[in-house]
Amino acid sequence: MNQDGLDPVIHAPARLRIAVTLAALPDGDNLSFTTLQDLIGLTPGNLITHLRKLEDAGYVSTAKNGSGVTARTSVALTGSGRAALERYTTTLRQLLDSASRPQTRDALPNAPA
Amino acid sequence: MNEPAGTTGSPGTDDPAGTAAGTPMGAAEAADIMADAARRARRQFRVSHRVTFTVWGLGLLLGYGTMWLSVRGQRLPHGPDLATFAAVTLLSVASVMSGVNEARADSGVGGLSAIRRRASFLSVLAGLAAMFALGGALAHAGASQAVISVFEASAPVLVAGLFYLSTSIAQLNWPVAALGAWLLAVAAAAGFAGPAGVWGVNALAAGLAYLLMAAIEPRLRRA
Repeated sequence: MNQDGLDPVIHAPARLRIAVTLAALPDGDNLSFTTLQDLIGLTPGNLITHLRKLEDAGYVSTAKNGSGVTARTSVALTGSGRAALERYTTTLRQLLDSASRPQTRDALPNAPA
Repeated sequence: MNEPAGTTGSPGTDDPAGTAAGTPMGAAEAADIMADAARRARRQFRVSHRVTFTVWGLGLLLGYGTMWLSVRGQRLPHGPDLATFAAVTLLSVASVMSGVNEARADSGVGGLSAIRRRASFLSVLAGLAAMFALGGALAHAGASQAVISVFEASAPVLVAGLFYLSTSIAQLNWPVAALGAWLLAVAAAAGFAGPAGVWGVNALAAGLAYLLMAAIEPRLRRA
């Protein structure tokens, strides 16, 4: 975890997009590499690098079906990936809450009685 | 928010090495990225049945309507071949177009959902094939032209109604369940309109119900 308690594997713009996109699919579904690439807007090489990081952490799984021109690589969020994203979201929400609380407190004295 | 600006997070510009060493992306920016990614994903994965409903509604209105116009006034309808050909062609086109539309909706998505959707489509085709076979069996058994006409007009609507009712109730999708129940009622009631009227009642009551669903589907999806 980094200093804010956010999972560093997820806490990068591209990997966060990948995780959130895959989490939008129901359990048991996967997404083709090309569709994921279109949605995230990364080059194939960049996407592979990020997927490898997520895969090394056990957050996504990839599978290749077929061969040659019919080959299809599919990507899915694993159970631990889904759990990690939930933890990340909870921590992020707490960070945002704690960041907004002082502002609210500062604003209170100026509020009409 | 007071987080450091960090990386922009714009697609294609991200550092593949990641940000494990620090937090160059602020919490607010992360929240924005999450919201944007979720919105894009929802739009991509959303399955709209509007085209399917429209195609089936027009198919029923035009196909069944043509049959009705060609056989009305006849006590025992002997529909001209052209009308039968038009009805079957329109319903076939409707089946294929709705299948293509559903397949396009899940392009890129594999796994359980895609398998379920394909299985549903195949089950409808199996139901329609069994229905046509039963129609042949009725003719073979000596059923009159009037009985066969009632069966051929109402059975496809019955199959569609059963399909919508059973699949939508499992998903607690009440508007589509209502469409299924309506189609069942129409299919049964239309039979009492006689061998000619059965085509007209099904064309109007079932066709317009499909078109109504197509009209309100975007609103239902937003609700």
